[in-house]
Amino acid sequence: MPERYRPEVIEHLVHPQGVGEVNQPDGCGEAGDAACGDVARFTLRVEDSRLSEVCYKVYGCAACVAAGSALVGLVRGRHLLEAARVSRADVEEVLGGPLPEGKEHALTLVIDALHRAFEDYLDHRADVLLGGGYTDGSAGEEGTVVAAMSGGVDSAVTALLLKEAGYRVATVTFRLHDGEPGSRSCCSPDTVLFARETAHRMGLPHFTLNLKRLFERRVLSDFVGSYAAGRTPNPCVACNAHVKFHAAAFLADMLGFRHIATGHYARVAETPYGPALARPKDERKDQTYVLWPVPEKLLRRTVFPLGDYEKSEVRAIAADRELAVAHTPESQDICFIPDGDYRRFVRERVTSGPGEVVDRSGRVLGRHEGIVNFTVGQRRGLGVSTSTPLYVTEVRPECRQVVVGRKRDLLVWEILVGETNWFMDPSEADSVQVRYNGSQLPCRIKREGESWLVRLEEPTMAVAPGQSAVFYAGERVVGGGVILRRGRG
Amino acid sequence: MQGNGVYLDYAATSPLDERVLQAMLPYLREPAGNPSSLHSFGASASEAIEEARGKVAAMIGASPEEVIFTSGGTESDNLGVLGLARSDPGKRHVVVSPVEHAAVRECIAGLERDGYEISRLTVDGYGMVDPGDVERALRPDTALVAVMWANNEVGTVEPVEEIARVCAERGVPLHVDAVQAAGRLPMDTGRVPLSTLALSSHKLYGPQGVGALYVREGVRLEPVVHGGGQERGLRSGTENVAGIVGFGEAARLAGLEREQRVRHERELRDLLIAGVSEIPGVHLRGHPEERLPNNVHLTVEGVESESLVLMLDALGYAIGRGSACASSGHKASPVLLAMGITEEEAFSAVRVTVGKDTSRDDVSGFVGAFREAVERLRELSPVRVR
Repeated sequence: MPERYRPEVIEHLVHPQGVGEVNQPDGCGEAGDAACGDVARFTLRVEDSRLSEVCYKVYGCAACVAAGSALVGLVRGRHLLEAARVSRADVEEVLGGPLPEGKEHALTLVIDALHRAFEDYLDHRADVLLGGGYTDGSAGEEGTVVAAMSGGVDSAVTALLLKEAGYRVATVTFRLHDGEPGSRSCCSPDTVLFARETAHRMGLPHFTLNLKRLFERRVLSDFVGSYAAGRTPNPCVACNAHVKFHAAAFLADMLGFRHIATGHYARVAETPYGPALARPKDERKDQTYVLWPVPEKLLRRTVFPLGDYEKSEVRAIAADRELAVAHTPESQDICFIPDGDYRRFVRERVTSGPGEVVDRSGRVLGRHEGIVNFTVGQRRGLGVSTSTPLYVTEVRPECRQVVVGRKRDLLVWEILVGETNWFMDPSEADSVQVRYNGSQLPCRIKREGESWLVRLEEPTMAVAPGQSAVFYAGERVVGGGVILRRGRG
Repeated sequence: MQGNGVYLDYAATSPLDERVLQAMLPYLREPAGNPSSLHSFGASASEAIEEARGKVAAMIGASPEEVIFTSGGTESDNLGVLGLARSDPGKRHVVVSPVEHAAVRECIAGLERDGYEISRLTVDGYGMVDPGDVERALRPDTALVAVMWANNEVGTVEPVEEIARVCAERGVPLHVDAVQAAGRLPMDTGRVPLSTLALSSHKLYGPQGVGALYVREGVRLEPVVHGGGQERGLRSGTENVAGIVGFGEAARLAGLEREQRVRHERELRDLLIAGVSEIPGVHLRGHPEERLPNNVHLTVEGVESESLVLMLDALGYAIGRGSACASSGHKASPVLLAMGITEEEAFSAVRVTVGKDTSRDDVSGFVGAFREAVERLRELSPVRVR
């Protein structure tokens, strides 16, 4: 037998509050799909960060109608930060207790529609964000922080640790691309929904920022363009500095919050030159290599709570506090290419004509279908058979040539690095890292015009243009840059 | 019946007729004997059952020994479909309409899991099967055909007589679900050469929990419920004596009063259709003429059916969703989808069914409440009415 609705639900169905649409709203959000049987739409006006007007419309079952009405009652007149904290459980309480089995989706539907209206509201104010403006946070209230929340265990524990340390925390999830599985909230799991649920369970307000345009401009186009130019890009590096930190700072500025935080394994150290990135306690999870382009102005207001923890401790905290994310698997691949086939991803976006496979002396050994299929150090798929194994040593986009050689031809003594970002004086650099999870190579560096020539003490293998070179002084990150080309072999 | 307001959901269940209750009372008050017992108590119960059997048989033009009492329409459908299929294990093919009640649909799905090959017929936009399609689907190894007499959701009456002839000519058994049709449509098993026919008591003002399966003389059937061999071995288990007596009386009254009831229902049905049709975006589904005299099936643009049903309940009118049995899960009714109705339209489907006790005032009051509920929900809805 289907469980019946409580009288509170019927009361909200028959006398719903806030039905309609706000005239010329500041934010408008819709969730669901009429073909799935439910659609909810929220419109709102924001004055002095308060929801001065909230209206909703619902096409759906009685639970959806009632949940929308209950939600209006919970958020109308409230501050944005309070409204963004209202959870499924809060709505359920107004409706007199749990909804009948199979009707719980109504809570998700209406909260998602409201949050999409918040997202729309923030999007209208994102001109600043896309223009590049943000502050160093010094005007923000002390003890406040915007924590980025991906839905994984690291970011969840980050928010939790901050809350337990006494911060006022607002969480934010970034909508970066359409590759996320399932954007229809009623039919499939969605990372944004999961992150919101996690935040709400901790009693924290949650916001979503639509960064698809920013991501497209600053990460995707560069990712595709780099391959076409024969480089091997690292999209996570570009995304952290130029999308995520930037967006978190935008939201913090908007809310009058001082700090921003992420779940990266890194630390911020005070140096005579100002704040600098530093390696975390858990060396195996060290993410300083992908954080080097974060501008000093942002790093100054950044908190990395996980810098002082081992990953195993983070999981233990999540389990201890009964976070649903405690046992989520580690994410590995590039997030916008779920199947991991980044070559196909690039091929679908650029035309790359066939060319020659040559050796170092220029002798033609074979043909290839396009340079996007090749990366320095690559051994497979060269289409050339020889007695000794051959490796890609160089990609020449201008003449579509792929240069191959023996393993020792990959050895590199010098690297030219550009597009640098320094936290400390470059002369402090005593070593360089040229690969994620790579080792720290002792080096000396010398300025060459706009770029820096890095001289290694020992040669290293397979340095790919487009990857990051990050300079260290002991545990501290002196600065970093993009590898332009290898120097003398 | 228990509940508030005006009841317009007769297709879900109908109120017990006072005369039926009176007929049942002696068998509820006194210690009812077990019909299988040899003593006088047993004999009395047994006689009551046989009298009821005769009344049910008379309603459908059958002889009493062709009627098997069951626990209701669902069990009757199970016994008909599974019983026919299993009686001839050499035949592994079944033909079925796409608009069957879940009681038939799920039996067929079970047969499919057991390795039977299923030919699912198509229907037109009204939900009607083409007898020619049935003929074309028949094969030498067809174990049975299942087509209902009238659809429980949209009310469309199927061309059962023609289908039965087609099947009879080819020697293929036909199971017919007549749960909604019985007592409303003329039903003569002497004229319509079907093999098994499922009936339910509570749809025709009898008690809940009792039904019957007509099994044509000579048709072989494998029992589904095994035990003490009651009901000619086709349905073991001590009989529901009071229920069967009530069913018998309900069937007798249905036979006696059918024409008068149908006239009354049809008049109210048409009044109701005329009233709600004035509301924009309200569409009658199912066949405009070949439909049950008491059935109104509507899709309402921009309105979701559960909200509409509960809103009307609050306004004092009890109606059904598009399909009473599919309403717990949020899935579009397969019947409506088979008719080519979109999922979105299907979620807006409601069924209003009148009965012999419905009055003109009930209908005119309902039309007003319906208009109000639709307007209120449309004001709430972000989906535009076309």
